[in-house]
Amino acid sequence: MRTNKLIIATAILMLGLLVVPVFFTSTFILHMFTLVFFYIALTAAWNIPAFGGKFSLGHAAFFGLGGYTAAILYVKCGISPYIGMFAGTFVAMLGGVILSFPLVRLKGPFFTLASIAFAEVLRMVAVDWRSLTNGSVGINIPFKPGWLNLTFTSGMPFYYIAMGLAIAVILLSWWIRSSSLGYHLRAAAADEDAAKALGINTAKSHFLGLMWSSGLTGLIGVLYVFYNYVLEPGSGFSMDRFSLQPAMNGIIGGMGTIWGPVIGAIIMTPLGEFLRFYLGTIQQGLNFVVYGLMLIAVVNFVPGGIVSLMEPWFKKKKSGDSSAADN
Amino acid sequence: MELIVQVCVSGLLLGGIYALISIGLNLIFGVVRIINFAHGEMVMVAMYLTFWLNYFFGMDPYVSTIIVLPVMFLFGVLIQRVIVQPIQNSSANMKIFATVALSLILQNVALIVCKGNFRTVQVPYGMSTIELAGIFISVPRLVAFFAALASITLLYYFLKNTYTGKALRAIVEDDTIARLMGVKVQNLYLLAFGIGCAFSALGGVLLMPFSSVYPSVGIPFTLIAFIVVVLGGLGSMGGTFLAGLFIGVVEAVGGTYVSPALKEAIYFGIFIIAILIRPQGIFGKGKGSEEVGLK
Repeated sequence: MRTNKLIIATAILMLGLLVVPVFFTSTFILHMFTLVFFYIALTAAWNIPAFGGKFSLGHAAFFGLGGYTAAILYVKCGISPYIGMFAGTFVAMLGGVILSFPLVRLKGPFFTLASIAFAEVLRMVAVDWRSLTNGSVGINIPFKPGWLNLTFTSGMPFYYIAMGLAIAVILLSWWIRSSSLGYHLRAAAADEDAAKALGINTAKSHFLGLMWSSGLTGLIGVLYVFYNYVLEPGSGFSMDRFSLQPAMNGIIGGMGTIWGPVIGAIIMTPLGEFLRFYLGTIQQGLNFVVYGLMLIAVVNFVPGGIVSLMEPWFKKKKSGDSSAADN
Repeated sequence: MELIVQVCVSGLLLGGIYALISIGLNLIFGVVRIINFAHGEMVMVAMYLTFWLNYFFGMDPYVSTIIVLPVMFLFGVLIQRVIVQPIQNSSANMKIFATVALSLILQNVALIVCKGNFRTVQVPYGMSTIELAGIFISVPRLVAFFAALASITLLYYFLKNTYTGKALRAIVEDDTIARLMGVKVQNLYLLAFGIGCAFSALGGVLLMPFSSVYPSVGIPFTLIAFIVVVLGGLGSMGGTFLAGLFIGVVEAVGGTYVSPALKEAIYFGIFIIAILIRPQGIFGKGKGSEEVGLK
């Protein structure tokens, strides 16, 4: 009975989300929803290595690699964005291969550091390599509306694209978490040495987790560029928006869980936009001070993230469903 | 030929400051076992303090150390007491989150208070050089190098010869046993964080006469300090010093012959290669020491 109720609730929520663009035609609301979906996808992708206890502060690297690949292919070579999606995903995964060296060789914090350095290096390369990336000026996606060019006159198509993307990444991360890879990663997060002793190739698991994560982030980067029309090093490889923000969402929501990133993104994205628009105009940077304070509060009072506060509620709601306990 | 020697010398001098900042990080890392992502922000805060002291009181950067260093020591103690101590026993990730949060707060408070402008201190000796065998050496860089060398030596003797220094080293080796031997671990954590912070602050002050400060100036220092500590090996003062000089030279040579924008790409490359070849660091204490401080 309880599972039925949950399915009905999910179905109602989905239907509700499907009809949002019909009732709310305001560009601001559509943009906000689209942004939330993008951040859900981004945070859920960021979260995959976090199943294994590793977290990155440089996911902007994959985001930017994906976005730049597709944008360069489209603008300079006239290659369809649909092919660009594959190319962007592939290039982001190559970036993941490079970053997998510190991931596999060193313990947690060094991976995190290496990821910051990696994203910063790519940002500088993007500024410096003017012939390819137009440097700081950036690349503009020409406005030629149509599905073929993935460019639209209204915000509606991207609302659905971003929503589909968010749902797909959540489902994928759910699938990964409950597959053998997910179990291996969680074993490695709990105790790396014990997992190795049990015969788990933890290096391989971390590597595969990062591959999924980097590829998905690259794909999200491609779609976001076509949503945003413009790509420059400061935005594509933005430390604040695509490295720190997903990490912040994930940590505050609950790192390494399925719903933590979703809850984190739903709370933090509108909050971030609000702070940027209202406080940001008064004092640039104040939003990050608020994030920092929230982060310290979370670390001190709810180390498991917001999702851990909801755990008792989840368990009651889905008692009897064994998978609920570890979500 | 002249040029390469010139470049190497200026890199070596800058490397002294990197070594200074990295030794502060190494001490915090080894003793408190916290991965301090806000380390570069300590440098930034010290640089701003130096700038404001000069701006309002016309104080010379070198003279301002008598104010900046004690202030930054207390700042480090305060961070340890307020931010780190409450989560001393939680997982390594939680400590990273807390210091990342601290770095975000410091950077953005700096942005709010000081705006995003580049600030420089104008001193008469800022551009002065001395000539030695056809090579021009910048005076403030030379001063920075020797000040770094002197304070590192001082710290070395402090750690080797005093009771407190020995206790600090005992904590680096094994903090449980140090505690059992009656070492007041909590107080020494405060001390180590304070000293670490003061060392990076000294680095910041010494940088001020020939470079500028802005809110995000600390990010590269955090990265450099970690790369230096990884290369030099945790708990190895000599290793950290040599690795600092090495990174300074690499930066100068890379910046001159490749591209100034790509110098961080070069560190990163070295970092990756180094950890592939020898994860415990070039001068590290042997296999497994790369994991010190991560439990």
